[in-house]
Amino acid sequence: MKHHLVTLFGVFALSILLIGLSFALPEGTQGEQHPDVDFDVSCMECHAEETPDIFSDWQGSKHGFMNFGCYMCHGDGTVDFEIKPSTDKCASCHGGYSVDFSRLNVNSCFDCHPGHTLKLHQ
Amino acid sequence: MPLKRREFLKASAAAAAAASIGVNLIPGMENKLFADAITWHKSVCRFCGTGCGVMIGKKGDKVVAIKGDLENPINKGHICVKGFFLHKVIYARTRLLYPMIRKNGKFVRVSWDEALDYVAKRFNEIREKYGPDALAFYGSGQAETEETYMANKLFKGCIGTNNMEGNPRLCMASAVGGYLTSLGLDEPAGTYQDIEHAELFLLIGSNTAECHPIIFERIVRHKTKNPNVKIIIIDPRKTPTDQVADLHLFPKPGWDLAVLHAMAYVIIKEGYADLDFIKKHVNFKNNEGKDISFEEFQKFLEDYTPEKAEKISGVPASEIVKAARMFGQARTAMSMWTMGINQRTRGVWANNLIHNLHLLTGKIGVPGSDPFSLTGQPNACGGVREGGGLCHLLPGHRKVTNAKHREEVARVWGVPVSNIQPKPGKHTIAMFEALNEGKIKGIYIMCTNPAQSLPHAQKFWKGLKEQFVVLAESFYPTATSEYADVLLPAAFWAEKEGVYGCTERRSQYMPQVLQPMGEARWDAWILRDLAIRMGFKKEFEKYKTAEDIWNEYISLTKGRDMDLSGATYRRLKKVRGLTWPVPSEDHPGTYKRYVKGDPFFDKLPEEKKKGRRMYFYGKPDGKAVVWARPAKPPAEPTDKDYPFALTTGRVLEHWHTGTMTRAVLELERAVPKAYVEIHPDDAKKLGIANKDMVIVETRRGKLKIEARVIDRPEPGTLFIPWHWKEWLANLLTIDAFDPGSKEPEYKVAAARIYKA
Repeated sequence: MKHHLVTLFGVFALSILLIGLSFALPEGTQGEQHPDVDFDVSCMECHAEETPDIFSDWQGSKHGFMNFGCYMCHGDGTVDFEIKPSTDKCASCHGGYSVDFSRLNVNSCFDCHPGHTLKLHQ
Repeated sequence: MPLKRREFLKASAAAAAAASIGVNLIPGMENKLFADAITWHKSVCRFCGTGCGVMIGKKGDKVVAIKGDLENPINKGHICVKGFFLHKVIYARTRLLYPMIRKNGKFVRVSWDEALDYVAKRFNEIREKYGPDALAFYGSGQAETEETYMANKLFKGCIGTNNMEGNPRLCMASAVGGYLTSLGLDEPAGTYQDIEHAELFLLIGSNTAECHPIIFERIVRHKTKNPNVKIIIIDPRKTPTDQVADLHLFPKPGWDLAVLHAMAYVIIKEGYADLDFIKKHVNFKNNEGKDISFEEFQKFLEDYTPEKAEKISGVPASEIVKAARMFGQARTAMSMWTMGINQRTRGVWANNLIHNLHLLTGKIGVPGSDPFSLTGQPNACGGVREGGGLCHLLPGHRKVTNAKHREEVARVWGVPVSNIQPKPGKHTIAMFEALNEGKIKGIYIMCTNPAQSLPHAQKFWKGLKEQFVVLAESFYPTATSEYADVLLPAAFWAEKEGVYGCTERRSQYMPQVLQPMGEARWDAWILRDLAIRMGFKKEFEKYKTAEDIWNEYISLTKGRDMDLSGATYRRLKKVRGLTWPVPSEDHPGTYKRYVKGDPFFDKLPEEKKKGRRMYFYGKPDGKAVVWARPAKPPAEPTDKDYPFALTTGRVLEHWHTGTMTRAVLELERAVPKAYVEIHPDDAKKLGIANKDMVIVETRRGKLKIEARVIDRPEPGTLFIPWHWKEWLANLLTIDAFDPGSKEPEYKVAAARIYKA
């Protein structure tokens, strides 16, 4: 039970709720194209059918556990869309953490924390 | 709507993206997004009643970012998905930018002078011809306290009608009734600080994870650190809140009063009652308000043994016993509830029975123990409950029926006391019925969307269509604007300053950081200028700043139970809010009421406090009341023609009628439409597959909607989220209301469902 709760807390603390700093991309960073969006279904409903493996990974991750949907990292799929989200977007939610990349051998949060299978230091 | 939905959404997103840029605050990362050019302003979230502190990031003349306020004691920097996108709402494509008057069936842009002159003329004509009670005001728990205060003065003090209501009638009125009848005064005794001291949480009629996510986060954080902490949920539907539950009781919708009585029965029978606390702090009353003994109360409970309650509610007796033992054995317990309890024809009674559990066990008045009602809107407590924005209230928890209260308020307002009628006006449902009947001929609606949010909504469209409707709103179109005669563009959050008072009695200041979009104006100034044009110049011309209004309001709270006289703008601009009573500028605010540390308790004569740790000073003898309320069923139980219990509610990503959240493309994409949840067993019997189009029908209407076959609702229960006007759940809900609180029963309607 404790493990379950620690996991759950991690989701809350580090996914949806933490130290939110919300922003949208600056103009000029768009360009990656999402296929035409069907506005009658949610991102998740469509991706459950179109990209079931990714959906399944996400669903089992902490982001999925908290229903932290595609739109939070990948944008709305029309005006704001990134196939591989920028690290800047991580900062939107995880801005409370200090990360000094000059001391690390990586350049992106995703090098250690893949968003669809996020396990966060376990 | 001139734009097709898809075009509209694209345009909305473009506007939002263009208006926003990112910031990067992680040290060591490339800072390409001008973080140093952003100035941050302390404010409060615009959505639910939690009262989260947010920081508004402004660059140039634009709000470009939002983040949680690390220094705010409520949320400590956390925000939920709705708050995360709040700044985008400012730049919604749907902002109402200019005053408009409907001419020959179409809205035509007009000047403010023309709009206000027109409204003043029509209102005065109605008042002169039909009397003041032919006019009405319908406000909001989202309006600032200063805004509601101005409306209160105009309608009750100057026009002379108590037909002044607000949408908190639809969400919190039963909680008010519960607090008043059980504890003697409105609003919780404790605060959020109790969360970190509680050993047990009873979450009843509350999908805390989706509707109050930051409060849920605090509960989860506390439980994570303290594995002995237990959580009981009582709700007819599984929700994401269940992920942390230790026990979930599933009563049939509307039949949970028997469960609460049975818990009380077990608590007393098995020795968990605090007899010393009861002796010193509690009276017992029957449903007629007559005093009864503790023994008579126990006899009353014999009708609600766990076995009998099982027959009534459908909850297994063994689980009721388990819940009662968990509540009784926990050293401290905090109950939290919201619409599942309040939006009921016996909402006040359900509130009473929750208070009963705390009073019987003495789990109140100590850290970690409190019956704590969760509020749905950001200023329902501050502006409407404390500000007196309902038809029977006056500012400062006063009542129109009390002559002394009327005199006190009239003196500060500078109006003859005879202006304030001694009789309550029409409550919300009665008000909209009076519009239908033509008894009310003109209404001013501010910051709310009743054409979508009223129960059995279509019943009330007639009156909105036929009578003179003025709508002050930040967004257009809404369901209500379809019926308006005049639209007045109102400044939105961040475009105005003012105060919000949240669930835990905390009043917080919000700054103006932007000029209003288009020609929008602050609601308080719209009301002031309308009042002056209606002939109340002397009464209203003195207000020059928001602080003028706030200062007058807090002067009216001096000495009242919700004393805010020490919460001046000067202080509120510096601190992260103050929890009343705050009787002086050097007072730090009050953590718990009715106990040592509460200024009203502290100044009681020693003989009253002797031997007691609590004194409920809203009651004549300082004793709270345990009520013996019968377990009445919902207004519309299921039957063979309508065999399902339909309940309505919310999702994480949207809020109320969707006016704000649906303007944010990311949130709209997350949950783009409504659906009806049906249990797989029921779906199988009816041949309904997931995503089938179905008809949900009640005695009031039909709704064609997509089915979601999922085991969240119990068999026999349906659930529809209510945020969409295209799939308007309130075509189906019932307008029956609690006879005490007048709050409607959104949570239970008998329904049937079949394939479309």
